[in-house]
Amino acid sequence: MTGPFKMNRKTFLVSALALLAAGPAFAQAIPATIDQPVTITFYNYNLGSAGIGAEATRKLINEFMAANPNVTVEGVPYSSADASRIQADLAAGLPVDLVQTVFSDLDFAVTNFGAQALEDIIPAEELTAHFAGMHPNGLKLGVLNGKTYGLAYTFSTPVLFYNADLFRAAGLDPDQPPKTWAAVKEAALTIEEKTDAEGFAAGITGPSAGDWLFQGVIRSNGGEVISRDRTTLKFAEPEAVEAVAMLRDLYDAGVYDSLDIAAAMEGMAAGNFGMYLQTSAVQGVLVAGAENNFELRASTMPSFGDKPVRPNNSGSALTIHTTDPLKQRAAWELMKFLTSEHGYTIITSEIGYLPLRPAIVDDPQYLGDWIKAHPLVQPNLEQLDVLEPWDPMPGPNYRQIVKTMMDSVEMAVFGGADVQATLADAQANAQALMP
Amino acid sequence: MTTEAVPQPLSAAPARLRKKTAAGTGLNSAAGHLVMVLMSIFCLFPVYWMVATSFRPTNAIFETSLWPTTMSLDNYVYALNAIPIVQMLVNTLVVSVVVTVIQLFTGLLAAYAFARWRFPLDKLVYTGVALTWLVPFQVVMIPNYLLVAQMGLLDSVVALILPHFASALAILLLAQSMRSFPKEVIEAARMDGARSWRILWEIMTPNLRGTIASLAILIFISTWNEYFWPLLLSRTPENSVIQIGIQMFMTAEGNQWGPLMAASTMASLPILLIYVILQRQVIQSFMKSGIR
Repeated sequence: MTGPFKMNRKTFLVSALALLAAGPAFAQAIPATIDQPVTITFYNYNLGSAGIGAEATRKLINEFMAANPNVTVEGVPYSSADASRIQADLAAGLPVDLVQTVFSDLDFAVTNFGAQALEDIIPAEELTAHFAGMHPNGLKLGVLNGKTYGLAYTFSTPVLFYNADLFRAAGLDPDQPPKTWAAVKEAALTIEEKTDAEGFAAGITGPSAGDWLFQGVIRSNGGEVISRDRTTLKFAEPEAVEAVAMLRDLYDAGVYDSLDIAAAMEGMAAGNFGMYLQTSAVQGVLVAGAENNFELRASTMPSFGDKPVRPNNSGSALTIHTTDPLKQRAAWELMKFLTSEHGYTIITSEIGYLPLRPAIVDDPQYLGDWIKAHPLVQPNLEQLDVLEPWDPMPGPNYRQIVKTMMDSVEMAVFGGADVQATLADAQANAQALMP
Repeated sequence: MTTEAVPQPLSAAPARLRKKTAAGTGLNSAAGHLVMVLMSIFCLFPVYWMVATSFRPTNAIFETSLWPTTMSLDNYVYALNAIPIVQMLVNTLVVSVVVTVIQLFTGLLAAYAFARWRFPLDKLVYTGVALTWLVPFQVVMIPNYLLVAQMGLLDSVVALILPHFASALAILLLAQSMRSFPKEVIEAARMDGARSWRILWEIMTPNLRGTIASLAILIFISTWNEYFWPLLLSRTPENSVIQIGIQMFMTAEGNQWGPLMAASTMASLPILLIYVILQRQVIQSFMKSGIR
């Protein structure tokens, strides 16, 4: 036993020394410049659509390639609904270099898709230089286990859109939108009573809703869906139960209907709803529907009484997956370009997401004039100061955990089930799926 | 005073009966027609709504008026600029036609073997083929993808066709038809010196025209509607099919209903044309295979 042990220990020590020596070397291995042609893949779900998201993405990629002639960026569209193409391409040994990762997939991207921590591959001074000017709350969104795996790319916050014409018709003041859930209920009841419209809709539940908006609702009541160390689910704790009971109360009062998520969005765009809580990313559809039909306005997410509103983001981050130093450099340069002042100007003005760099908001060289012409984005910007990360569920069953949780919420709000018992039961089931 | 019963013409009673029957039949027929008219409206209304919506401007997309109050071709212009619809339609047509021809070819060969030859484990192999019909494509999608990637055929129209070289449905349907083919005819051909290849192509295939036409329509339509494989495989719209193109107007940031309906209208035209020209065969093919 002693011999082999000694040998093992020796081998271990040699390996450890080699790793120690190689550690900084890995960090330094990324070349300072790109002096030879390199091709990187950019998996992007906006490219899988037809419209402004894809056009703006292609525009940014082309601008980057024009400025970096040694880098060819191959945009690969994929469906963010299941990321099956990324899994299939990794299984096929195809290069997956830079990915637009949905924040809820971040843990899975790190543990299964090989997303790299920026601190491990990019020199610290470069990171510091690039992070300067970024909103600290925005930077936190891509942090997992103390390291930055993703830089917020296309992200937004929950906004309470409302139909100012319906407010006026109901005798409500559109300049004083509801700021609390109690006020939302009151306004919705008034709208239903005084007009033919529905009071309130939200994108909290539904097949494509995920749990991002739900997390913000629970957090705003002082709860959380998962513990800070991401080991214990907490969506059946009293604060969460109280928040879900509030939604149930809206349903019981007849002002919050069980609607398909797309139907709710389109109902708002058609002018059939007084208020609609959803990601600011849908603003384009709502503005198009409202044009010449009704006055669309927006406010911040409602609070629970005096408790502070604690919204979290939706959307995506950029994550580097390649382990090739030259490709890492190319991916990092593209990542820097996309999250630059110019990048966020395009992302905000042409796709409809939030800029992570607050200084460009008032700068006429970037978003200054656009923001003046698009006041709807203001509540979104205000919430950047109180924004918290969308917690990704851990482990390979992360999607099933989210589904179990959200199914129980639907049953508790719309299905007439006992709120406490339903959430507790689902939490026990989902906890068994945790790693 | 006697009254003489005036003899009724013999045909009078049956005539009344006939009248009653005719009236009843007429009523039944009218009711039947009414039901069919209502069902036709029910079935056609979504198609009508698709076309009507495709002409509505963006801010009137949720109008509920039967006909657009303002008409616009903007959705068609936008859809044609946003995705290469014509190229996608051509790709879809090429894939559908080639898959149909190949599946019919391989189906005829395999069906002949199963119907005419006895070989070791033939029943087991036939059962195996039948069982593959029960395996959803999603199960073999990833292994197929890995194979296609190894062959360097990702994002190509060829790869859209490759996994569809053989169809269990085609083999089973054709084998059934061939088994009921008169053996005397085949024996006569054999006596005239025809071998299997000639019997298949010159005797059986021409006589199975009806079945083959029905099967061809079924394969064509199901390939035209294929979604999952192109979704996984295609990386550029230029190498993809129209079903993916239509889906591209549905995003997390909201659905672009106007362009989506315009693209759907354009995509429906070829398949509607096939229905109009071959409607009798289409209905027969669905009835024969028991698929609705």
